[in-house]
Order: sequence, then structure tokens, then C-alpha cells
Amino acid sequence: MSDPISRALVVLVLPLAAAVLAALFSRGVLRKAANWPLVAACAAAAGLAVGLVARVAEAPKHQFVSDAVTWFAAGQFSANFTVNVDPLSAMMLAMVTFIATWIALFSSGYMHGDRGYGRFFAVMSLFVFSMCGLVLANNFLLLVAFWEGVGLCSYLLVGYYFEKPSAAAAARKAFLVTRLGDVGLILGIFMLWRLTGFATTDLVSTDPARPGVFALITKSVAADPARMTELTIALLCLFCGAVGKSAQFPLYVWLPDAMEGPTPVSALIHAATMVTAGVYLLARCAPLFAICSDAQVVVAWIGGITALLAAFIALAQTDLKRVLAYSTVSQLGFMFLALGTAGAISPAFAVTAAMFHLFTHAFFKALLFLSAGSVMHAMGGVIDVRQFGGLRKLMPVTHVTFLCGAAALAGVPLLSGFWSKDLVLESLAAAGESDRPYTGAYFVLLLVAFATAFLTAFYTFRAYFLTFWGAERVPEEAGHHAHESPLIMTVPLMVLAVGAVFVGAAVEPFNHLFSHFLEKSPTLAQASAAAGAKDVPHAFNWTIAGLSTLFALAGVGLAFALYRRGGPEKVPAALEPAFALSRNKLYVEDAYEAAVVKPATALAFLAKAFDGLIDGLARLVSAVPRFVGQWARPIQNGLVQFYALSMVLGLAVFLTFVVFRVTR
Amino acid sequence: MITLWHYLAVAAALFGIGLVGFLTRRNLIVMFLCAEMMLQAVGINLVAFARYHGNLHGQVFVMFIVAVAACEAGVALALFLMLYRRGKSLDSADWAAIREVGVPPASDADPLPTEPVTAEPQLAPAGVRPVQPANEEAARV
Repeated sequence: MSDPISRALVVLVLPLAAAVLAALFSRGVLRKAANWPLVAACAAAAGLAVGLVARVAEAPKHQFVSDAVTWFAAGQFSANFTVNVDPLSAMMLAMVTFIATWIALFSSGYMHGDRGYGRFFAVMSLFVFSMCGLVLANNFLLLVAFWEGVGLCSYLLVGYYFEKPSAAAAARKAFLVTRLGDVGLILGIFMLWRLTGFATTDLVSTDPARPGVFALITKSVAADPARMTELTIALLCLFCGAVGKSAQFPLYVWLPDAMEGPTPVSALIHAATMVTAGVYLLARCAPLFAICSDAQVVVAWIGGITALLAAFIALAQTDLKRVLAYSTVSQLGFMFLALGTAGAISPAFAVTAAMFHLFTHAFFKALLFLSAGSVMHAMGGVIDVRQFGGLRKLMPVTHVTFLCGAAALAGVPLLSGFWSKDLVLESLAAAGESDRPYTGAYFVLLLVAFATAFLTAFYTFRAYFLTFWGAERVPEEAGHHAHESPLIMTVPLMVLAVGAVFVGAAVEPFNHLFSHFLEKSPTLAQASAAAGAKDVPHAFNWTIAGLSTLFALAGVGLAFALYRRGGPEKVPAALEPAFALSRNKLYVEDAYEAAVVKPATALAFLAKAFDGLIDGLARLVSAVPRFVGQWARPIQNGLVQFYALSMVLGLAVFLTFVVFRVTR
Repeated sequence: MITLWHYLAVAAALFGIGLVGFLTRRNLIVMFLCAEMMLQAVGINLVAFARYHGNLHGQVFVMFIVAVAACEAGVALALFLMLYRRGKSLDSADWAAIREVGVPPASDADPLPTEPVTAEPQLAPAGVRPVQPANEEAARV
């Protein structure tokens, strides 16, 4: 296992084994122990993955590609099963398995006594497996396979409480909306292959004689600039897939509904890992995006629009988990903002900013979701902030951990979220001053990002104050649950809280460990070489940091002024129109309802009527044999003698006929 | 001189007796015996014709028929035993439940007389020491 590839493969296989074990446990005497395979597999995988990061960092080439094993081949075309270990994938692998370990531990307590305990952990393990596979895939086909794998697990877990119609509908919505983006993803992949002349399916290769997809396309576009249009369209199609998976405008509507799933699922899949798959896809394809500024500005605009829109909708939501879901959408928008600047500025810097925000976001958003889950656990399943409040004394640990997460999300100085948001803003500011096209757009997007930062701080602390401050109110549903959660749930909270507070400061601002590690990725070096954009120095930008601190503190201050007395919420008259707009989710869902859902329902109704017609015809045809059967059925009366007699009579008639025919 | 005609007459008589028995009796074992009689009547025919033609073809057939009939008897008697255990009866009319769904049962104008059921002797399961009745003295050998 000294070889990084085999180490990565072990990390990949461990959760799969856990999935099989948990599924086997789910119906036997070990039903109650179905959580342990996942916890153990994730812990072991996390240990291995962290070791892998160290190994990749000190290796001379920083990139390892496994030997190609043919997955399937058709004619000239062959798809290989290859994995690629470079700083980018090693970092993601370590992050995913580490977060998953603590979430698995938390869910051991959270899901305790649930009927589908084994099912839950089996699907969670399968999810971790698919996510690791997605991160490691060195091949678009393999990537799509795991991409759909995480989508399937998301569907199964959102619809975990499938007896609830709302959960079943949310699962369906999540699946269908992401599928819409996946159509684009597949088309984009085909177009990219066409650009390579279907020479290979491997993304990168360590063998100079057989270059990967990225190198081939970069060369082909450099040789013939007319191909840039085709590349732009292909990349925008690819981005469609990322928009669907990472819940960006206009396909973000599934993520808030996906909160119908159990809270650990929201923490792992819909905050920390799966929804970042789109960001990861774009980061992996940075060599292509970096040379295509038209596609990049679209990415940045979509990210900016989503960030602002989702932050605005989060303002007035009363469901604690939905506030967090919209904030996830908004933060993912931030990551796309940073990714969109790659090319205008050095791709290495832009991608590092996005990945760093992804990294810290995974910690504090998983923490926030788990804290919300802890609140939900104590409140007997109620998550509406109008029904509880003042839980500060009741749940001291959850209160502190939620505060840590909220402060990190709001971008309070020196916490993780502050550092990563700062990098995103810096990359936007640098892109606004670059010598490349669309500088104006990037400058506008910088302002959008500042506005979003203010809104983020405000809605996060609104949710915090409404939940934990003011007079203590506990809903009736809570019953005897209304107390702090058990240790198995609070320990993961504490660990993640430490991460949310310190991990940002520990790895980036002072020693640049994170960015130096990621910049070693050969694909990022390739992207930087192809883009030729000027490098951004790793210097602390006091103006940006000061402004972002100002906006964050203003948001927190406004929330404090309005909500320090806790609920019930009293919205000032001046803000009421904005809040009403936010409460109605900017009427986006209503527009979709009218434009897509209603026509589809009408079409389905028509199809059902036509189907009824066809069914009627089929029934008519089947009525004829039934009628004949009705007449002949009494012969089968179950008496052996009767059967024998009819046989004898039949034989007699037959013989008579034969004998008289022959003698005549 | 016994001619072919004699053989065929015996076989026809045997077949007729079997047929009538099969149609009129309701005891499963007797019905089975009657069916066997019809089968063996066919066997006699085959042997007779084999002799008439002076070859062994028919005899070979009869060998097969006898072998198959033996197997059949084994299977059929085992089935009857199981049926008897279920219903404590060998009346073929008792198994009219296999009729088509929705068809009314045939009314039985002449039910068979019922006999008191005596308990079958039970053996102890293998590996278990049989329980010695307290009042019975153990046999000395």
C-alpha cells in the first residue's frame, strides 16, 4: 500500500465493502450494529487518504495514473477504468472521507431506533463509495457512472422516509432536475470527445506518447482557433451538468426540497460532498475552461446570480434546514464565481480559491446541518424556527457549535469561512483588473459577492438568534426529548466546530499550505500555461478583507438589532416587502410550476386518457376468451370419474368414426 | 389349439373389466388396480401379436410396460398414502377441490360409509430413546 494508486483504490473499496456489510446486517441480529461498517470504513479511509495527501505532496511528480484496465471496448473506441491521484483528487478524497466519518458517527445516534437503520447506512456507504469514485475517476465515462451513482444515493436518501408524500415528491424532484443537467453533461462529454477525434477517453496521462483528453483538446484548439466555438458550446454543456448537480440557478430548486431527507444526509450529501461535485468537475476541467473566456464569464455570472438569489431567498425562510439549504446554494455560487475567474487570472489561483472555499464550507456547513439535526432531534422532529426558541440553556453544546458554524459561514474574521471567502473575493477583484475581456462583468460580480456576504451574515445570524436566543419555547412534539443530544452526536459536532473555526487559518493564510499543495496539480499547471494569465500574488489584500469584514459584521449587527430578543419574528415595516418577496422564494418556483409542471401535468393527463382508450380495446379483446371460458368451465368439476368417462366417450366416438370410415 | 383370437379375447375381457372398474369405483387403490388391469390387457395384446408375427418386438414393449408400471405403482401408492394422511379417506370424490374456480361442487348422492379412525402406531424419532410405558414390563431376551 505504499504505492499511492493502490492506497487510493483501498480508500475506494472500503466504503463499498461497508455498503455490502451494512446491507447484510440490516435484517439480522446485527440490525443495531449496521452503523459500524460505515464508521469503521470511513475512519480507515480517512486515515489512508490523509496519508495519501502527504505522499502526493512529497512525491516528485505529484501525479499518479493507474494502469489502464479496459472497461469495455467497441471497435476503435475503448473506455478504460483508470484512476488519477493528484493533489486535487487527494485533497477531495481526504475531505470527503474525513467529513463522512464524523457524519457517520453522528447519524449512529441520530438515526437510532429507526426502522430502516440498516438501509440508511448501506446507502450512505454506497454514497461514500460513489463519491470517492467520482473524485478519482480519470475518464469521463467512469466519472458519469459515479456521478449517476451519487445521484441515485441522493434520490434514495432524500426519499428515505418514503411513506411521507412530500419526501417521495422531493426525491423525485431532486432526481429529475439533476437529470436535466446530466443531459447537458453527456452531450458536453460527447462533444469534447469529438474534439479529440475519439482518440482516448482518459482525462490525463503520464505517458507522453498517449496524451489525455485535456492535452489533445488544448493542442487541437491552439492549432485551429475556429474550434473555439465548438469548445465553448461543449464546455457550456458540461457546465449544465455542474449546474444541475451543484444546484445553481436555474436548476437550484431541488436542493431546498431535498431537506426532506434525514439531517445527516443533508449534511453529507447536500452540503459537504455531492453538491460540490459540480465544482470539482469544473476544477478538474480547468485546462479547458481556462482557455475559453466566453464560457468562463457564463460560469461566473451563473455563480453570482445564484449566490445573490439564494442568499435573498434564505432571508425569510422559517425552516431552519431550508435556510441552510439556500445558504449552501449561495455558497456554491461563490465557488463558481471563483472558478469563473480562471483564465482572467491565473487558473491555479482561481481554482485554489474555489477549492479552498469548498474545503472550509464542507466543515462549517456540515457542522451547521448536524447542529440543526441535533436541534431537530431534541425538538421531536420540529425544525420550524417559529415553534421553538431560546434553546441556549437547554442545549449548551449544540448552541456553541452552531454559533461556531454560523460565525464561520457569516465570514467573521479569523474563522475558516472568512479566509476562504477572502480568497474568492480576491480572485474576483484581480479578475476585475486583469487585461482579459469581461473585466467589467467581474467587477460587477465582485459587488454582487459583497452584497451576498452581507446577506449571508444577516440570515445566518437571524436563524441563530431565532433558535437560541430569547425566551425558551419548546414545541409539544418534543416531549421528553427536549434536552442536549447524547455524546455520540455532540462529539462529531465538537470536532467539526474545531474544524470550522481553525482549519481555514491553519492551512492557508499564514503558510499557504493548501494553495501550494493544490498548485502542484499538473492539470492546474497545464491550465496556467494554456491561459497565460498573470499570476496573483499570495498577499493579504487589506482592502478586500476590511470590506468583507465590514459587510459581515454589518449583517451580524443588523440581525442582532432585529432578533436579539428571539422569536416570534417581528419584521420591521420598512423591510416587509422584501421579506414577503423572499418568503415567496422570488416566485421562481411558482414560475416553474406554471411554465413546466402544469403543462407536463396536462400532457400526462392526456396521455393517461389515451392510455385508458388503449386499455379498453385490450380489455375488449380479452373478453372473448373469457366468455368462451365461462361456458366451458363447468366441465372441470374435479371428479376423476367424470374425466375418465368423458375420455372413454371421446375415444368411443373417435373409434366409431375411424372404423366406419375405414370399412366403408 | 389356442389361436391369436383367444389371446385377444382374454385381453379385451381384462380391459373391459378394468374400464368398468375404473369408472364405477371411488376407492383410489381399487381405481389404480383397475388402471393397471387395462395396462396389462394391452400387454397381453402385445405379447400375442409378437408371437403371431414370430418376432420379439412386442415382448420388448411389454418389458418396458412392466417396468414403468412398477414405478408408477410406487409413486401412486406413495401419493395415496399422503392423501389418506391428509383426509383420512381414500374416496376420490373427496378431492374435488381441484375443480375450476367458480364451479359449484358436484353433489354426492351416495356418500361412502365412514369408519372410525384408529390411531396409527407412532415410532419415536431417530436418535431418541423410546419411552417405556410404566405399567409394561420390559421384554427380556
